[in-house]
Amino acid sequence: MTATADVETGARRVTTAKAISEAIAQEMRSNPDVFVMGEDVGTYGGIFGSTGGLFEEFGSQRIIDTPISETGFIGAGIGAAVEGLRPVVELMFVDFFGVCFDQIYNHMAKIHYESGGNVKVPMVLMMAVGGGYSDGAQHSQCLWASFAHMPGMKVVAPSNPHDAKGLMISAIRDDNPVIFMFHKGVMGLPWMAKNPRSIGPVPEEEYTVPIGKAAIPHPGTDVTVVSISMSVQHCLDVAEKLEGTTSVEVIDLRSIVPLDRDAILQSVAKTGRLVIVDEDYKSFGLSGEIVATITDKDPSLLKVPVQRVCYPDVPIPYARVLEYEALPTRDKIEAAIAAAMAG
Amino acid sequence: MVDNDMRVDFYKEMVRIRTYESALQRDYHADKAPAWDIGAGLIPGEMHLAAGQEPVAVGLCANLEQGDAITGPHRPHHLALAKGVDMKAMTAEIFGRDTGLSHGKGGHMHLFDPSQHFSCSGIIAEGMPVAVGQALAFSRKGTDNVAVAVAGEGAANQGAFHEALNLASMWKLPVIFIIEDNDWAISVSRELATPIKDGSLRAAAYGMPSARIEGNDVEAIFDACKVAVERARAGGGPTLLEIHTVRLWGHFEGDAQAYRGDELAEAAENDPIPIYERRLVSAGLLDDDSIARIKAEAEEEVEAAIAFAKASPEPKPSDAYLHVFA
Amino acid sequence: MSQTIVFPALSKDESAEGVLATWFVRTGESVRAGQVIAEVMVDKVSMDVEAPIDGTVTCLVEEEAAVGQGAEIARID
Repeated sequence: MTATADVETGARRVTTAKAISEAIAQEMRSNPDVFVMGEDVGTYGGIFGSTGGLFEEFGSQRIIDTPISETGFIGAGIGAAVEGLRPVVELMFVDFFGVCFDQIYNHMAKIHYESGGNVKVPMVLMMAVGGGYSDGAQHSQCLWASFAHMPGMKVVAPSNPHDAKGLMISAIRDDNPVIFMFHKGVMGLPWMAKNPRSIGPVPEEEYTVPIGKAAIPHPGTDVTVVSISMSVQHCLDVAEKLEGTTSVEVIDLRSIVPLDRDAILQSVAKTGRLVIVDEDYKSFGLSGEIVATITDKDPSLLKVPVQRVCYPDVPIPYARVLEYEALPTRDKIEAAIAAAMAG
Repeated sequence: MVDNDMRVDFYKEMVRIRTYESALQRDYHADKAPAWDIGAGLIPGEMHLAAGQEPVAVGLCANLEQGDAITGPHRPHHLALAKGVDMKAMTAEIFGRDTGLSHGKGGHMHLFDPSQHFSCSGIIAEGMPVAVGQALAFSRKGTDNVAVAVAGEGAANQGAFHEALNLASMWKLPVIFIIEDNDWAISVSRELATPIKDGSLRAAAYGMPSARIEGNDVEAIFDACKVAVERARAGGGPTLLEIHTVRLWGHFEGDAQAYRGDELAEAAENDPIPIYERRLVSAGLLDDDSIARIKAEAEEEVEAAIAFAKASPEPKPSDAYLHVFA
Repeated sequence: MSQTIVFPALSKDESAEGVLATWFVRTGESVRAGQVIAEVMVDKVSMDVEAPIDGTVTCLVEEEAAVGQGAEIARID
């Protein structure tokens, strides 16, 4: 089991999946405008457990199983939101965004701007992301950079149960469209191999985690490792392993839009070394944006070149040996830290 | 017309497919216990098996030639096998080996066999526009080949279905749209997702002929597909066929199916293979000996394919970077 | 007062073996009645296991270990 802050908070431990469904339940209890739509969100509880228990408590009027019509029901979420409801819509796998992206990037993300601020879209679009369990090219992607690149929607991706609950509550209360990405590997599901960090202390009461603020779960002085989502768990494993040899500062971005550039700058100003760990594709994405955050302001902060441990620019292969060749695993993170330290 | 030789062939092929799916089910779960880890074992990842849907594949493919195309869904094995995709190469692909159809890159949802013009994908309904394109190519090349798009009843509520039908009809293309209605889109029943009971009615909206086939009977399916395929070959344009079938097992392996309630037991009673077997025995076309022989032959072929897969080498890790571009 | 918690009967097949998928508590921690202490799974069906009484928990099986239905998995003292 992991050495997290549970001893301090004294809170009971739950899985990330449970934390997400609990957040939605609490907001639904206090606000009748909140409802959920998506495929298999009802009695099934969501394919990855994000809506577990909600149908039993709230029924079919507020937890709505949809046909396989993403453009239709995401568009419907947008319409409900502009008329004052607060939908939480689930896109089953991020990889399915291709069939409905117009509604997302041309409508959900742009209505507020196009209306000169007069129309709001207080909607959460949550989705499962990530690979590592052989689900192949069309079911294993992260793609947060693709959403982050289009203006008008916030993008969050928690790495642990505590942040998952707080970010979901923040997302529901936010008057802006929020893309809430949960990596399948951090959900703590009983049918998928899990890092112990996918179970963690979560306060029973409501609380928020601010969107746009990174966390520093492992402070350090030698090298800055910036990451998000499941990769944060790997980074923490490596940082703990290297204690005594290298002092690693792990930054968990938690949000991509807004990006906590100050946190990145402050850390690199301290350490001078930057390693980025990102399971999304390497080129034209988040990792490049993190580098630009430094070089736009002050390239001299960097004592050594940046190390990027990212998914390469290849579709995700099915065979386990191929997929793990490409994934940003712990040994690759450790090697990158060593390279940064060697200069 | 279906003759007696064809009947026995239909039975053989359905048994072949069921034997295959059963063996994969066995091997898929074998090394995932006790802590069931979807990513573990010789066959990792998701697995969508087609037990119960054999009549669709067999009735359809008995009308198709090698040069005809099929785009299939995430539940593709019955279609691949009936189409003539090589069982060993397909199995090696499912086991993630270098001897697989895609050298381990695709896996069970992404089986590509260009020699059979067979492909499948995991995004619901997205194979339908592709089949329209294949039909366009066949038409322009002047062959009488046809393309077939196979998807589920849930897919008929996805935008791509409607665009594909409209386009195929507008351009009068040699494509057949097969909807396998197994009543379930994972846990969402047809009646909760589709307001009309007969999805073939949608064809009228796109100006194409259609039919809904009840009973999951391989011969009725064969006859309906024959009409559609011949129409397409003769330049008569597309057809929509909605075929009511049954999903005997879960949506994916590991699906506890609590949402099906009593219907699950009822579904088991509608297993099309024992039903057809009894019919052929009554007609004097099969007996205990021939049934045993057919099953033994199927098992032999399937186990040989699995043995081939298990004995095949894994791809080299560096192969992950190959084939991004031609 | 001490109470033993057993692996629930989730499967119609009594002999089916399950797994203790996740512990939410560690040996020595205090738990409250009703608190979810573990998630178990058998035949692909998963279920939360709750502490029946307040007390100190002792975990009797390892996470991801195979466990028979009805076998002891924890004790609350």
